[in-house]
Amino acid sequence: MSSWRSLILRIGEKSPEYSGVIDFKDHIDACFGAVRRELDHSEDDILTFLLQCSEQLPHKVPLYGTLIGLLNLENEDFVKKIVESTQKSLQDALDSGDCNRIRVLLRFLTVLMCSKVIQPSSLVVIFETLLSSAATIVDDEKGNPSWQARADFYITCVLSCLPWGGSELVEQIPEEVERVMVGIEAYLSIRRKVSDVGLSVFEEINKIDKLHVEQDFVEDLWSRIQDLSKNSWKLESVPRPHLLYEAQLVAGKSHDFGPIICQEQSDTPVELSRLNFGRQKHEAELKYPQRIRRLNIFSASKTEDIQPIDRFVVEEYLLDVLFYLNGCRKECAACMVGLPVPFRYEYLMAETIFSQLLLLPQPPFKPIYYTLVIIDLCKSLPGAFPAVVAGAVRALFDRISELDMECRTRLILWFSHHLSNFQFIWPWDEWAHVLELPKWAPQRVFVQEVLDREVRLSYWDKVKQSIESTPALEELLPPKGGPDFIYTSDDGDKTEYTLSKELNSMVKGRKTARDVIIWLEESVIPINGLDVTLRVVVQTLLDIGSKSFTHLITVLERYGQVIAKICPNEETQIMLISEVSSFWKNSAQTTAITIDRMMGYRLISNLAIVKWVFSPTNIDLFHTTDRLWEILRNALNKTYNRISDLRKEISNLKKSVVKAEKIAAMAKAELDGAEAKLMLVDGEPVVGENPVRMKRLKSNAERTKEDEVSTRESLESKEALFARALEENEALFLSLYKHFSTVLMERLHETFGEKTMDHPVGDSEAMAVDEDDTPAMEMDKENGNSKRNVGYTIGEKEQWCLSTLGYVKAFSRQYASEIWPHMDRLEEEVLTETIHPLFRKAVYSGLRLQVDQ
Amino acid sequence: MALLYKDPNKISAYRDRRFPGTQEEYEHSLQTSTTVYIGNMSFYTTEEQLYELFSRAGEIKKIVMGLDKNTKTPCGFCFVMYYSREDTDDAVKHISGTILDDRPIRVDFDWGFQDGRQWGRGRSVKHRGGYGKLVQKELEEQRQVVDYGVGSLGSFQPPHMGHNYGRHAGGGGHSYGGSHRHGRGDYHRKRYRDGDDDRRRPDISKRNSENEPRRNSDHDSRQEKNPRFRERGDSDDEEDDRKRQK
Repeated sequence: MSSWRSLILRIGEKSPEYSGVIDFKDHIDACFGAVRRELDHSEDDILTFLLQCSEQLPHKVPLYGTLIGLLNLENEDFVKKIVESTQKSLQDALDSGDCNRIRVLLRFLTVLMCSKVIQPSSLVVIFETLLSSAATIVDDEKGNPSWQARADFYITCVLSCLPWGGSELVEQIPEEVERVMVGIEAYLSIRRKVSDVGLSVFEEINKIDKLHVEQDFVEDLWSRIQDLSKNSWKLESVPRPHLLYEAQLVAGKSHDFGPIICQEQSDTPVELSRLNFGRQKHEAELKYPQRIRRLNIFSASKTEDIQPIDRFVVEEYLLDVLFYLNGCRKECAACMVGLPVPFRYEYLMAETIFSQLLLLPQPPFKPIYYTLVIIDLCKSLPGAFPAVVAGAVRALFDRISELDMECRTRLILWFSHHLSNFQFIWPWDEWAHVLELPKWAPQRVFVQEVLDREVRLSYWDKVKQSIESTPALEELLPPKGGPDFIYTSDDGDKTEYTLSKELNSMVKGRKTARDVIIWLEESVIPINGLDVTLRVVVQTLLDIGSKSFTHLITVLERYGQVIAKICPNEETQIMLISEVSSFWKNSAQTTAITIDRMMGYRLISNLAIVKWVFSPTNIDLFHTTDRLWEILRNALNKTYNRISDLRKEISNLKKSVVKAEKIAAMAKAELDGAEAKLMLVDGEPVVGENPVRMKRLKSNAERTKEDEVSTRESLESKEALFARALEENEALFLSLYKHFSTVLMERLHETFGEKTMDHPVGDSEAMAVDEDDTPAMEMDKENGNSKRNVGYTIGEKEQWCLSTLGYVKAFSRQYASEIWPHMDRLEEEVLTETIHPLFRKAVYSGLRLQVDQ
Repeated sequence: MALLYKDPNKISAYRDRRFPGTQEEYEHSLQTSTTVYIGNMSFYTTEEQLYELFSRAGEIKKIVMGLDKNTKTPCGFCFVMYYSREDTDDAVKHISGTILDDRPIRVDFDWGFQDGRQWGRGRSVKHRGGYGKLVQKELEEQRQVVDYGVGSLGSFQPPHMGHNYGRHAGGGGHSYGGSHRHGRGDYHRKRYRDGDDDRRRPDISKRNSENEPRRNSDHDSRQEKNPRFRERGDSDDEEDDRKRQK
């Protein structure tokens, strides 16, 4: 006999607990029987576990609802506790803004209503509370429209309950439901439409935004719900097990549901400046993010024929499973393929996962999680899923030039990793045509970068072998071969060669960094000058550290000071980076790692890296390789990590200070108390009463006070570091944007003229290309080949601008939270009147700031 | 998250004998550690490959390769140190059981690297007190995940078709149905074909821990077999390895 625990956990699954058969009635009966038997002994455990399951396995919530409805007939008190506990959880979730919890608990309440555990009107009261809070938020006078993200979230929550209980609500209290619907409609009429600018996966930066054309996500859901209502609330994707027990459940006692309160909008400033509005909107959207942005990459003919509302429900299931079962590979994959719906949904599933992988500004989890999910699904559904994944890859590849830059990077990383888990097998011949494209064509760059990442995960020969069917693609492989050490033989400069040999033997002879510095200062720099010294030292040390990552670290740890000595300022650090880049010119990965480590040991500043990335020879590579962007990304990321670590440490230290203060105060009070007692003895200080205790108390008071002081000191020093880090951050972003602005200025003007973003010159050309290409593409497809962009005719300069602007947008978006505090200065110093409108647009759309019309 | 199916307190079934403290201290150190142990690696896997893969979970601080005591060459395990616990969690959650260099690697929390732990067993010394077997068992379980497919897929009856990326002629894409069998690039079949490639070490599932001698013979011949064998040139391994320890 299985335990009640595993029966609750596995209900609705094809598991041994239920003899491997899915029959909802059998499952509910069996589970109900077991739980009822144990209820007296383990009421608290059951309550906790049942609530946990209902919350963390939301795709099974109708089963839990029915189970609780049946328990309600047996033990009203128990179910009363469930309802009260849910009320409390919901209130907590609303207070802390825990989106997933709020949504899932509302769904849970909806199914409890279906099982007669709570009154339909109680549910409507909750809906109306959320609705009224939403309406207040978007009200210009009473609320704060910059927080519309929260209002939209509340409305989405209400709407998304309806597939689970719309039919039951309408049957019992049609007027009240109608009132809610009218309320939502009214809300929709006063809110602002949410634009996807800056967050859409596909967007050509030089195209006019399609503002106010399509439905946004709230309107979309609203129309799906309206369709559902027109269809008498019938849908296929939500099981209704409570109907099997209708006759019994009707006798249950409905419990009261206490009122809930929505968080007040804290700041309701009268008039928000444009920047303040943008800043608050950013904060709100971070806290209440849109859950999914549909990709629509599969053509309607390929995807499953599923009603819009069922598509929505399946997406909800999938996103919930991805969220709650992350870390449980087996269960996650099993749940995803075994959703309780009567139709197939592989395409929908693939599209949902890819929409998460590519979700902007960032997915709920690291991309590597989705990589794993896709791998597991390919293994779970070997007959169907790999082909669907491949379809998604093709669809994304076809539109790669419209794909957001950040998404391109994620796609490259995912795809190379995915292939590495499946023997690097891919029909590369389909993409052989990219060789006919110019070296800056996005499709060609994509293939090249995927191959580069494959080599990093594996090794050159292996990847070469994997493209054997299309040997021409070898041209896109990264160079094979290791470091490019200039002193391998004495063919070149004899002096430098000798110096290098000498340094090498000093290192092998375990001379200290100090020794080396003295040698350099006394006998190398004075004779050969700084440039030569720098070259010799860097080349030689890199050579010694070239065998592996650990060798590199060892050399940098031991001789970092030498490098610091000869590269004390930005200018020399830039030379250092150049030297690294030429030494490792055959390996983008090692170049990036070396620079990253050097920044880690503070041998190079992030400002030096930015400056080097924007040096003239590098600029010319912006549109043809990811190499430099990777280095820039690393530098920004490392800076960001440092500042985040400081934030965490400070917040922990603040807690420690409070704690230390408390302990010190207690010790002091205890000591004072003891001292006071002694004083009382007839004016004579009787030392001998308990000197041991006094001594202990005294030393304890001193020690705790010292602790307090030292904790406070470390907090202060961290805060000083943090203040400095913030300044450095400001300098970094100012420098980054200035560089972007400078390099873009001339090229944008040359390519797009003085035109504003409404009518960029290149736009019509690019669109014409697309149209011309369409018939050809169709034909090619019939030949089983995708050659959509063979007609790619974007000129080099234009592509350079597009790629660079794409990165401007991607960086702005990724670091928006770090950039916002410095926005005033950026506006003043960089985003001035004179910058090109396309540059401004890229920055603003990354920050989700409205462009002034 | 995802606590329902897991006992959060039972973080590892394996108890490293070299850990100096009590069981509670051991568990505490696993729960706070930012080090992962990676096992079942190919002997040829380089630090750079590890870096590429593991940096996808977060910023890496250090990598320590496990070395064969006698030969001082990589012998199939390593430690990766992160800066943050969150990244460490993600590495264990999302990389364990995936493929690196054609092998399903195992990633576990580790109580913290200490000098000396990089030495794997030599020819005769048993490796890490039975850890090999544990790895073996777990990875077999992972295989189970791979194969559980058809039986437990609920409403899915996987269609009768090849497992491929191919596009069949004329269709402009793929759809469910038998015609797929003509497609290119069948995962499964290729997989086994590749198994014959002598560059690849035999797959773990086809091997068991009794086959240890095979590793050694592999080692002896790997210079010729592996195209990636690092050119150590004039290098003195002793020297390098001493440096690694520092």
